[in-house]
Formats: sequence, structure tokens, C-alpha cells
Amino acid sequence: MKPTTLLKLCTLCALLLAGCAQYENRRGVEVAWSGSAEEFTVGKTTRHDVLKRLGPPSQVIALNDETVLYYLFERSQGNGLVLVVYNRMQIDTRYDRAIFFFDGNDVLTEFSSRAQDGNAK
Amino acid sequence: MQSKKGTAAFLLTLLLACIGLTGCSQWYYHLGETLSQHAVPQPDGDTTLKEVLAVFGPPHRLSADTNGYVFAWEYWRVREDAVGVNLSPFGLDFLSVDVARVATQGEFLLATFDAEHHLTAINLSTWNNRVGDGKALQPFGVYDVATTEDLVRGFGEVHTYGASMLRRLPTALNRESDLSSGANGIEQRATPHSMGQHSLEMR
Repeated sequence: MKPTTLLKLCTLCALLLAGCAQYENRRGVEVAWSGSAEEFTVGKTTRHDVLKRLGPPSQVIALNDETVLYYLFERSQGNGLVLVVYNRMQIDTRYDRAIFFFDGNDVLTEFSSRAQDGNAK
Repeated sequence: MQSKKGTAAFLLTLLLACIGLTGCSQWYYHLGETLSQHAVPQPDGDTTLKEVLAVFGPPHRLSADTNGYVFAWEYWRVREDAVGVNLSPFGLDFLSVDVARVATQGEFLLATFDAEHHLTAINLSTWNNRVGDGKALQPFGVYDVATTEDLVRGFGEVHTYGASMLRRLPTALNRESDLSSGANGIEQRATPHSMGQHSLEMR
């Protein structure tokens, strides 16, 4: 192969060599609470019910006789374009959250959840 | 003949440029959902925690305080542009030229509630500014000239809530058990820290 042809091939490869990348990161308590809001009733559901349904929370907070169970699931997804002279990466992070308030008798007094589709319940 | 040489020189220059310009990158981060699209409730004495949660959903950060709760929601867009030129193909492998810029756009909503779940204060702040800007001519490109690490990391403190309960007490708090105090015994050389007098230090 002639040196010039080789050089042409190398240059072409350098210009056209491209790659792509995908990225995903999940952290926190992965709980499928979407659709489960109907299962919880203020004044009736107990802390035991919530723990049984959703598992251990991400955080527990207490204020006087009140207890708060907080669930957080963090999900990052990204994709990228890897070229020789230019690289681009975009990462979107979304948060699923749920919060439950219980009185001194461990009965649910208030709750809220928001899944990745953005619906509050 | 002259034309072939010219073409070869052009191709070689192009190839070297392609190899050298390997550090041009753009990073985009989106964290959370926009907050300003919602009307912010006002603390008129009747607004409740339930109403605020109905609008914004559960918060991203929360804490109890002496009189109630503090909730925070946030939304971030971070953009990092970087250009790095490595001159090694040109025989200057000890030199790297780097230029980088980081810009952010964000929203932060902070709300406080009393123990009866009434909204006592709320504020939404927004910003759109440049938070990092760097240029460097350095050997081998050792250091990043701009970083977004602290801006885009997750809510680590929430995920490590349980582990935080098991952290060691600072050695300083238990300094009275320090062998150097001269009041807490002696220990033979090379004794493991997990046993003997050193274990009292909890370090």
C-alpha cells in the first residue's frame, strides 16, 4: 500500500471514528409506589403497613410524637456522542419521592408521593 | 509530484489535528423538575403542608427543627464546555492547553412548617450564571480547570442515612482515652488499634 493511501485511510478513520455511550445510575430505595397511593388511608394505615409495602425508608425523621418516613429513589440516565474532535454527554436525573407522617400511635396522618412521570398523589 | 507532496502534507496536518484535538467536550446535566411552573403558595396562616405537597410533591431535602419542619426542593441545569488540546502529536508531549467553562441555571424552593403542619415561610429563588471558568497551559493536562462534581452529585446524605448512625466519634471527643494523656495506661508497640488501650480512643 502506498504511503499516501495509508495516510488517506488513517485520516478518514480519524474523521469518521465515532462512538456512542449510555449511562445509567440508580440510587436509593427502589420502590414501586406508583399506583400504591390508593392502598394508604389517612387515619387507618399504620407505620407497619407502609414499611411492609414499601420497605425500609431512605430517612426517618421525628418531631415530638410525630414520625416521618421519607423515601427517595434517584435515577440518572445519560447518552453521549463520542467523536474524535468533539464529545457530548447529556445526563438527566429524576427523583421518585414519597413521604408519610405518623402520629404517636403510628397511624398515618398525611402522605404524598411523586413518581417519575410527575404525578403527585 | 509537487501536488502529491502537498496533498500528503495536508492529510498529515489534518490527521495530527484530529489526534491532538481530542479533548473538546460538552456535558449537560438536568436534575429534577422545574419549580417555577407552579404558583408558590403563600403563608397566610391557613396554607397547610398537604397543600404544598400537592403542588410540588415530597421535597428533595427535609429536616425537623425545634418548631416544625424545613423542606427544600431544587432544580438544576448544569452545562460544562471544555476544550483541551494535546500537543503531543507535534512533539510537545509535555504541554496541554485547556479551556473550560461551567454555567448553571437553577431553582431552589425552601419552605418551613410549624408542628401543626401550617406553612410559616416560603421562598423560591432562581439563578442563571457562570460558576466556573478556567484556562490552563500545563504539562500533561494533570488538572481539571473546571469541575462540576459538587454540583451534580446526588443526595448522598439521604442514601447514607443509616450508615451515618454508625460513624465513629471524632477522636478529639474521646481525647481523655488518648495514651499520650499520661493518665490512661500504657500500650506495647505495634498493638492493633482495635484492641487494648487504643480501642478506648475509638479512632
